[in-house]
Amino acid sequence: MLTKAKHTLPDGTRIEDLFNLDTREVSLSTMHDPDLYRIEMEKIFTKSWLLVGHESEIPKSGDYVVRDMAEDEVIVTRDRQGDIHVNLNVCPHRGMHVCTAEAGNTQVHKCIYHGWAFRPDGSFVGAPLEKEKMHGEIYPKEKLGLKKAKVELFHGLIFANWDAEAAPLEEQLGEMKFYYDIMFGKTEGGLEVMGPPQRLTIPANWKTAGEQAACDGFHTLTLHRSQFDIGNFGSDGEVTEEFIPIMTGINVADRGNALRCISAAQTFRMLIGKEKFEDLTVEDRLRKLPPPGIVTDQMKEEMFKRLSKDQLYVASMAPPQVGNMFPNINILFIYAPLPDGTLGSGLLMHAINPKGPDKFQWVTWFFAEKDTPDEVKKAMRSAAVQTGGTSGLIEQDDSDTWPHMTDAARGAMGMTETLKYQAIAGEKRPEGWPDKAKVFAGLSKDDAQWTWWLQYHKVMTK
Amino acid sequence: MTSQAAIKNAPFDIPSIDLPKPTDSITHYQVQQFLHLDAYLLDHHRLAEWLNILAPDLRYFVPVRQTRERADRDKEFSDTLGHMEDDFDSIAMRVHRLVNTKTAWSEDPASRVRRFVTNVTVWETDVEGEYEVLNYLMLTRNRFYQEDFQIFSAERHDRVRRVGETFELVRREVRMDQSVLGMPNLAIFL
Repeated sequence: MLTKAKHTLPDGTRIEDLFNLDTREVSLSTMHDPDLYRIEMEKIFTKSWLLVGHESEIPKSGDYVVRDMAEDEVIVTRDRQGDIHVNLNVCPHRGMHVCTAEAGNTQVHKCIYHGWAFRPDGSFVGAPLEKEKMHGEIYPKEKLGLKKAKVELFHGLIFANWDAEAAPLEEQLGEMKFYYDIMFGKTEGGLEVMGPPQRLTIPANWKTAGEQAACDGFHTLTLHRSQFDIGNFGSDGEVTEEFIPIMTGINVADRGNALRCISAAQTFRMLIGKEKFEDLTVEDRLRKLPPPGIVTDQMKEEMFKRLSKDQLYVASMAPPQVGNMFPNINILFIYAPLPDGTLGSGLLMHAINPKGPDKFQWVTWFFAEKDTPDEVKKAMRSAAVQTGGTSGLIEQDDSDTWPHMTDAARGAMGMTETLKYQAIAGEKRPEGWPDKAKVFAGLSKDDAQWTWWLQYHKVMTK
Repeated sequence: MTSQAAIKNAPFDIPSIDLPKPTDSITHYQVQQFLHLDAYLLDHHRLAEWLNILAPDLRYFVPVRQTRERADRDKEFSDTLGHMEDDFDSIAMRVHRLVNTKTAWSEDPASRVRRFVTNVTVWETDVEGEYEVLNYLMLTRNRFYQEDFQIFSAERHDRVRRVGETFELVRREVRMDQSVLGMPNLAIFL
């Protein structure tokens, strides 16, 4: 069945040839190949919904932040009507970055080079020496605005897409929206950022972090072993050389989006002790072990009202905690007992912004529920900063691993190796679990991560 | 032709230097020795011993920095969100992981780190025996087979408390010179 692929690498390799769909392997060369990277920019990063921030970062009219969509800088603004815009930070005159600071407030973004000026919605105000028509008479002003991306908000998260024909974000999220609603949509106040995001550069291909985010539960046993050795995540009798309780749970996946739903009974037992979790009603479970930051009665009532019966069931049995959004978002919602027996919780999201085939920028936002009391927010913030992001005890081990994979992919022999996703659990939906997305219950195997690659394959060969 | 004849011409009135007077030279020397001890213990992986020179009420903060316009320069550093936000107990947990487990992969094999500490200025505070200490940190980090160095430069705003013949660190705020950190993690102390 040879069909001519639209995209081939210069040496004649077709994108399809980088995969063995039968044996579930991906060529390691994908983690370095500069030619493949250029195709990814065209097929994925100019056609997908990408996370650029949260609306709480630009609360007032004129507020802006400068963010990245892969290697393109964008200005994320709020206009006088309160609408949010995402504009390419490139002056259409001579290509200068219009904003050189990365945050601020202004109703006019004026390029420092020749003075072309733009409104927060990206439209062109004019150039100096208006009478002299310094912007020329070939194009009308309407055609001289900043390039605009499509914008959608999802529970306050700002997503942008360069593709004017792009289907709505909801289509990209697929059936996983059911689970993301649980994570982001529990309260009326919603989430807010606890400060500007951390940013750092990792000398690795973006897909090393991208594919891991899609439910690699297996690496917890070895790479994050130290967490159990020092007593985080509860070193009760069940942690052994061969097994860590949080490796089991329910992985759910659709369209390259995946989440690990981790047993609440496990967390409950470590935190609350003997009381029989299984005997409690859904509501009692959620009241005794509420999601991170849902601490007031008011917030709990909102959660019961806003989530459906099925969503409450999931939140009470095995809340989604770790995962991704295709292509380049990583989510870490922590429900972890600390050694002192309290709940060390935090809400983190990462964007993995490609900066060339061998480099990406790792952006980390720290969130809290807006209505969580300040004292609790503060405790969540320090627990989250100590767990994830730049210095987080968990994530510092991840970021040190990915550069090795990218370096390994450069070797003449290294690039002939494959990434293998051959540990198969198969679809299994526990009784009572809603019929949403593909459900893989039990020990976390390679199923969900493989769906990430299938989505990548689909998008890249389209 | 003499220097007396030369006149400074500036297009505006030059303000006088507005900085408090640093402390005496003996205290300065003692604090400097303390900072050298701090760097020595960290550079030589003597992390368990290093805990001795941290105060029980330690606050350790590395604020996130943003590039802002000059007019907004006071908003460069976040007062809420850091790359690190620690107290003594959480630092002790980090050290415990590094020295007492065989699985702290982000620093095993360990980075080769050198901390250069300069431009030390010491000021007295309202509290007897406590000093504000401004110092510059230039840190080089090298890992695995890399031939190049990851470089980190910052201004440290420390507070130290005299304890007998030496000091303990009460506060360390590390104001970094990058808005985007140039290394994959902070698995090391600054």
